[in-house]
Amino acid sequence: MREQAFRFGRARHLVGIAGLPPTAPGAVGVIVLNAGLVHRIGPFRLHVDMTRRLNELGYPTLRFDQSTIGDSGASGESQTRVQQVCADVDDAMALLHQHAACSRFVLVGLCSGAQNAHTVACGEHSHEKLDGVVFLDGYAYRTFGFRLRHYLPRLFNAKRWWRWLVRKSREVGGGGNEPVFGVAPLPQDVVRVDLKGMLDRGLKLCLVYSGGINMDFNHARQFRECFGSLMNRPAVSTRYIEETDHTYVLVDDRRHLIEHIEAWLQRNFPIAHAGASS
Amino acid sequence: MTRFESELPFFFGQDGELFGIYHAAAGAAAKAVLLCAPLGQDHIRCHRLYRQLASALAAAGIPVLRFDYYGCGDSAGASDEVDWDRCLDDIATAAAELRSRSSVDRVSAFGARLGANLALAAAPSAQLTDLVAWDPVMDGSAYVATLDALQDALRRDTHRFIRPRAASAAEGQWLGFAVNPGLRQRIASLRAERLTAPSLLIDSLGEASPDWHEWVPDPARLHRLRPDTPWDELSRIETAILSHPLVQTVVAHLRERAYA
Repeated sequence: MREQAFRFGRARHLVGIAGLPPTAPGAVGVIVLNAGLVHRIGPFRLHVDMTRRLNELGYPTLRFDQSTIGDSGASGESQTRVQQVCADVDDAMALLHQHAACSRFVLVGLCSGAQNAHTVACGEHSHEKLDGVVFLDGYAYRTFGFRLRHYLPRLFNAKRWWRWLVRKSREVGGGGNEPVFGVAPLPQDVVRVDLKGMLDRGLKLCLVYSGGINMDFNHARQFRECFGSLMNRPAVSTRYIEETDHTYVLVDDRRHLIEHIEAWLQRNFPIAHAGASS
Repeated sequence: MTRFESELPFFFGQDGELFGIYHAAAGAAAKAVLLCAPLGQDHIRCHRLYRQLASALAAAGIPVLRFDYYGCGDSAGASDEVDWDRCLDDIATAAAELRSRSSVDRVSAFGARLGANLALAAAPSAQLTDLVAWDPVMDGSAYVATLDALQDALRRDTHRFIRPRAASAAEGQWLGFAVNPGLRQRIASLRAERLTAPSLLIDSLGEASPDWHEWVPDPARLHRLRPDTPWDELSRIETAILSHPLVQTVVAHLRERAYA
């Protein structure tokens, strides 16, 4: 199987690579969104390895650059960020529909990619095309349990107290006044309602969080602490990988992540006559 | 043709294994430019800058091809299959593709770090007429030692991992990419004296700069770029490398030589 390069989208401003294995009708198409500002190949080529492995299993894939990221340009429209993200993903779905006859899709996103996947999935009509979402280090909130796990061991650690005092003294001295630019995360209650809506509409969710976000998330129990009993629903899969970092810099960590995602896909969206097709 | 239509992504080469983006230029061009990417994480860090440089050159009337070697970026092959000689072959294949698409015979090349070394080494076989090198690696064994030290520091970095990772989990890799022994050996054997001198050498290594003068004696062919580029800082390995002055310098140099 060979991948194909496309320039596509409503303003032909998007660039993506589609993996188009010979598939049985009804196969879900997997669309991988940008992780931060890294272009479509993903951190350390994670998205390339992931999509090619999924192609071997028979899943059509598209890794692409969203508007203004990587090799993609701006559409020239006047849109909010939410409108732009949804329109880009719509364009990606249309491309995979055109070339692989996919009518159902799964989104995969890491970090800001998870936020963008969330944006698309919480649309009230998302279930018309979307079957599932893989959130890698998606929304996370410091819970009471997080604070206990985070601060209790530090209370009795003299080195940590010393580092804290040094840091504070620097901040008082003016070292901590650099401007911080970032996108404010959605409130926890809003995300919980969003996730409930996704599940009520029949989407299947796979949440994989890493030790790389341990300043906000530090235990498998925190999925339930953040989002409540929703996390017990059969359509939800959660996994906390404590030892790995946020962008899966080590080769074996990436391999294990890909194996986890492919197992979740095969369990929830099996391909008839799945097998090697490369 | 819109600006987007003039940037065409495609696969080329034997069995369509190589990915590239061709930036067409308006009007008849006297020369074309091949952008040779660095390897490993430097490739990802430089992606945006290479796109900016390609767009700027195309806007100046110079057609450009940027591409990924086998085992890199969107090209076929796994990351642990990157091979030095295959990269050299890929540069020759890409240069031929650029000539075919642009209908221009004279092809210059630009490369950053190991991309510069590769372009310089491939110059005869790819028939490159002119080379711009940005911080090429002049001492391969020292560079390998630096990458090994960075990789060891990375696995111990508790800003990245909750706990340091075992050496076995990080071995055979440099900053996120598996490195096969053959590639490692070829990089370790890099020596400046074996390379063709570029028409322009851009230095942004600061205090770590080697003595370029033995290799490039003409001061007019050496351009010092400020600020220094943080190629080998562990805390910035996932930060994009951007430099507007670099784009301006390279475009000015190549445009001038296009009409020389």
